[in-house]
Amino acid sequence: MRYAEWCIAAPTLEADIAAAAMGLDDIGHSRVLYGSLRELGVADVADEAGSYANVPYLDRPWAEWTAFVAANGVLDSAFTLMIEALAGGNVEVLRSRLKKMLQEERYHAMHGRSWMRESRAAADAEQARRDAIVWIGPEGGDVDDLHHKGILSLGVRDIRRRLDEQVGAAPASPPIDWKAWDPVRRRISPGGIDELTLGMLQGLAEKRYMPAGA
Amino acid sequence: MGFVRVHHDVQEYEVFARKTRLEPLRQVGAVVAPDDELAMAYARATYDEERWVEMMIVPKAAVIQLWAPGEAEA
Repeated sequence: MRYAEWCIAAPTLEADIAAAAMGLDDIGHSRVLYGSLRELGVADVADEAGSYANVPYLDRPWAEWTAFVAANGVLDSAFTLMIEALAGGNVEVLRSRLKKMLQEERYHAMHGRSWMRESRAAADAEQARRDAIVWIGPEGGDVDDLHHKGILSLGVRDIRRRLDEQVGAAPASPPIDWKAWDPVRRRISPGGIDELTLGMLQGLAEKRYMPAGA
Repeated sequence: MGFVRVHHDVQEYEVFARKTRLEPLRQVGAVVAPDDELAMAYARATYDEERWVEMMIVPKAAVIQLWAPGEAEA
């Protein structure tokens, strides 16, 4: 959804179109992932403010194009690595359904890499990287457990290393306090999306225009 | 207000595609980008609404023109 917010605000017309296309791709990916979860017997989660397990980077709309670029270049790459690990794991429904997603994400990565070369997005990229590392989780945690069971083809160290290879090695940054890590929401900092974002995700803005009783 | 590009050094790419293996590639449009990777991402985002079996981009600078409209064949 954050991509879509930039579909008329990016620096070039081509980037506008790419933002819209990548936003549509990711909505499609969400549908596939939620559908796969249902097929695997995971119950739906209530659609309410506290239930969104997004990384803090997505809590608020991005104020600058560099924030978009860092999300595209770093966060999207981290999410794609996890999808790749699922597609390479031993769960058949994920192995078969996530391949197309990876093909589409290849173009997101190209877009992100190119804009990272051009933009001064270092500060945003560092924040995005930190959120990505926290989202992947600590070594010896649930991701490594799933890796040992064969559900994920990559463990935490593999994913971090691949992320470094794709987006450049991380500069020195303060250590992550894993004691404060929430394993459900996969983040350390409290908070979440704002009311406006929640309304858009739930389609409340659109529902105002529906005929009464519809 | 005029449209301002932020890229410093861009080039134009022609986009070619076809819907079946039997039909020839045809030009479906063009994109402007500073490098091949971004041009590929832009071409796919802009022209992917149809079910192409193949799509490719060519830097316009790489095209060798034999003659142009209105010019006599050399």
